[in-house]
Amino acid sequence: QSTIKWRMQTYAGAALAAHVIDPAIEMFNKIAGDRMQIELFYADQLVPTGELFRAMQRGTIDAVQSDDDSMASPTEVTVFGGYFPFASRYSLDVPVLFNQYGLNEIWDAEYSKVGVKHISAGSWDPCHFATKDPIRSLADLKGKRVFTFPTAGRFLAQFGVVPVTLPWEDIEVAVQTGELDGIAWSGITEDYTVGWADVTNYFLTNNISGAWAGSFFANMDRWNELPEDLQTLFRVCCDQSHYYRQWWYWGGEAKLRVHGPKMELTSIPDEEWATVEAAARVFWDEIAAESETKAKVVEIFKQYNADMEKAGRPYRYG
Amino acid sequence: MTLARRYIAWIDGMNRLIGRVVMYGIFVMMGILLWSSVSKTFFLPSLWTLEMAQFAMVAYYILGGPYSIQMGSNVRMDLLYGEWSVKRQAWTDALTVLFLIFYLCVMLYGGYDSLSYSFQYGERSPTAWRPYLWPIKTIMCVGLFLMLLQAISELLKDILRIRGEDIPKETI
Amino acid sequence: MSYELIAILMFSTMMLMLLTGQRVFGAIGFVAVVASLLLWGDRGGYDLGFSAAMKLMKWYPLLTLPMFIFMGYVLSESKIADDLYKMFHVWMGGLNGGLAIGTIGLMVLISAMNGLSVAGMAIGSTIALPELLKRGYDKRMVTGVIQAGSSLGILVPPSVVLVLYAMIARQPVGQLWLAGVIPGLMMASMFILYIVIRCKVNPALGPALSKEERDVPMAEKMRLLRAGLLPLGIFAAMMVPFVNGWTSLVESSAIGALTAFAAAVLKGRMTREVFENSVRNTLGISCMFMWIILAALAFGAVFDGLGAVKAIEGVFTERLGLSPWMILILMQLSFILMGTFLDDTAMLVIVAPLYVPLVGALGFDLIWYGVLYTITTQIAYMTPPFGYNLFLMRAMAPPEVTLRDIYGSILPFVLVMTLALATIMTFPQIALWLPDYVYNN
Ligand code: NA
Ligand code: NA
Repeated sequence: QSTIKWRMQTYAGAALAAHVIDPAIEMFNKIAGDRMQIELFYADQLVPTGELFRAMQRGTIDAVQSDDDSMASPTEVTVFGGYFPFASRYSLDVPVLFNQYGLNEIWDAEYSKVGVKHISAGSWDPCHFATKDPIRSLADLKGKRVFTFPTAGRFLAQFGVVPVTLPWEDIEVAVQTGELDGIAWSGITEDYTVGWADVTNYFLTNNISGAWAGSFFANMDRWNELPEDLQTLFRVCCDQSHYYRQWWYWGGEAKLRVHGPKMELTSIPDEEWATVEAAARVFWDEIAAESETKAKVVEIFKQYNADMEKAGRPYRYG
Repeated sequence: MTLARRYIAWIDGMNRLIGRVVMYGIFVMMGILLWSSVSKTFFLPSLWTLEMAQFAMVAYYILGGPYSIQMGSNVRMDLLYGEWSVKRQAWTDALTVLFLIFYLCVMLYGGYDSLSYSFQYGERSPTAWRPYLWPIKTIMCVGLFLMLLQAISELLKDILRIRGEDIPKETI
Repeated sequence: MSYELIAILMFSTMMLMLLTGQRVFGAIGFVAVVASLLLWGDRGGYDLGFSAAMKLMKWYPLLTLPMFIFMGYVLSESKIADDLYKMFHVWMGGLNGGLAIGTIGLMVLISAMNGLSVAGMAIGSTIALPELLKRGYDKRMVTGVIQAGSSLGILVPPSVVLVLYAMIARQPVGQLWLAGVIPGLMMASMFILYIVIRCKVNPALGPALSKEERDVPMAEKMRLLRAGLLPLGIFAAMMVPFVNGWTSLVESSAIGALTAFAAAVLKGRMTREVFENSVRNTLGISCMFMWIILAALAFGAVFDGLGAVKAIEGVFTERLGLSPWMILILMQLSFILMGTFLDDTAMLVIVAPLYVPLVGALGFDLIWYGVLYTITTQIAYMTPPFGYNLFLMRAMAPPEVTLRDIYGSILPFVLVMTLALATIMTFPQIALWLPDYVYNN
């Protein structure tokens, strides 16, 4: 029996992939051995990120690691992948939402419609601003050209932020060539890991989301062709990748805030930041009005956050 | 053969006209980028400038492609080719241009496929500006099709040359 | 069939296709789509060619390409460089070989105004070359001077080649451009030194101008000196906002193009014909570049899909057990070798994606390598039988300069450039000092 070969492309460039995906794939290949091997490609390597979804739908690529938003998946849930503004507070919120509050079922149904298997959603790092010039008030956001997630960008535009979307690998250069004033894409761990901390000076401690939702996907036919044990192995390795992120980011964020030498921390005062959070709730309602599925997801976010408020400390403070 | 000559005249004329309009696109790109600098310096930076400039660039080179073939701008490796007689060049070209035609057909098929996806799902660029992608993909498909027509015209010219007719080489 | 074998097959088919003399983009594109269809045809392999077009669209620094090309054409077609040439003529003419030295100076200034070597080539061969020949300069020496001098265009900022390199190597363009400044000036000085020595040994190669010819009134001399300010003005209009972060790279390139255009209009040189030629040729050359890049991106994606880069790296480091420096030197040599029969743009988009990650993996500084890479490209531009500069020279030079002269002229300059290359390899600080100084201040 010949070895099953899969090609997988990740949204991440090589530096980040070394943490968020390489170990999981190496593990998979080691265990699956002659039965199956996955070849991993980094951001934009085989196909540009904008074409990623289609390439997987066609089978040019067998599997993908990405958030729904960046790869512009033609589904009702696209806006919620990546950083949906203020949808989560902590990284554990995301798996709870998917596994206990019903998001898994919605995602599965939505992706099945377009010939793609949604395998597993995980929680990745929080979304902060890393900028060349400091942000100390909402007014400082005005006119900043920032690389961010499309949906986060739509939301932030009302505060004068100018969202720019470029290939992930070009970001560092773009900050230096003046195409960008900063980045609102990640936590401080990623800023340091991929080199963005070298080209920016300030890190804003207020975040527009506590963690983002990203997933593993596969072409539906390729997935169905896999024997059940290899499907299970693939799931386990995806979960392993999510787990790695949980501790890597949680510890990394704190450590670099305290000991990181490259970025100065700034904050927007809580009272002022409250206007952003209020604006997010308006934004949620706008999104909910767009379709029934979106309304259902927003309802789940509201329910979840209300539950967490009631649960009190340590789930929510104040 | 009169049919071939008529095809050549017609296609070359059309592509030349399109190319001559598109060549002023350099000022369109310049204008967009200058507006981008001005708006950034004096007002809020615009959401659309970089992407719009990219669309303009794609339209510029894809639609201008056939005219650039007519001008002979597309370099060839003329290590051997340059030394050959006109007839020998025509023979070789008539064969190898089929490879070019094949390439363009595959490109066009991929473009058609990508375009129909755009229509089917109302695909938008994943940016804050969120422009629909079908207009630029339509332009790209049209450009690839024109390029294909031009390549066929080049093939016909080579066939005429092989038959001994004096067709001037592409020149600027 | 193993992936390594497919990769080798692809590469050799492409070389063969190129030898037939078909348009370079057609040859590369054909091999790319056929390979992709054979490998992944049942799984949407036909997409790969077109998805390269989408990738190219998102490659925003490519917008600088038409801008810099337009700038170069405006400068060469409008002949606003005439005064610059005259400036060097009257100020340097008294020396043996002085006009040749002045021509190098002219080339340095033109390099600062545009991003390709084409403009320097055009200006050098249409303005400087006829004058030099008329004054009895040795035709081989001066043909070489112009070819070597014009190649500074891609080393002295702005540089299109370094922009493309930056995109491939994911390195900041600003630092790369600064890294090119001192090596560019160093190489210009080495060319000058070469001319001085040769003319010292054999003054007949570059006779000094007669006293009468040099007898230009001081006022006129000063007026011509002011002409030297024009390129500085264009350079400043483009670079000052960029370096200060007021405008981005692509915006700056548009400002540069507009400034050059405005300068030609203000000097009354923007005739209908100049306008037509600049606009039309910009389209032609931009299309040439873009269609090759488009095809090469598809080729590169298939190559990547095969894991060819990893395979090559493995062969070098594990199977052959070479040290990083050995590999680097081998790479430079193979690069020059390929430059003898491969088109330069094809080389840039095919060889660079292969070599640059390898250089990074070996632990070398990619800014420094960018400079080595550019100089190697320049050498490749000039070495027969295949070299862009050689072709341009053949097209533009006066009829008394034969192909033999052109081929014969470049040898000493290639040696000088190789010496420069070796010097910068040995002392990386020549390239790295300026960007370090500016960015770490
Ligand atoms: Na230059
Ligand atoms: Na060469």
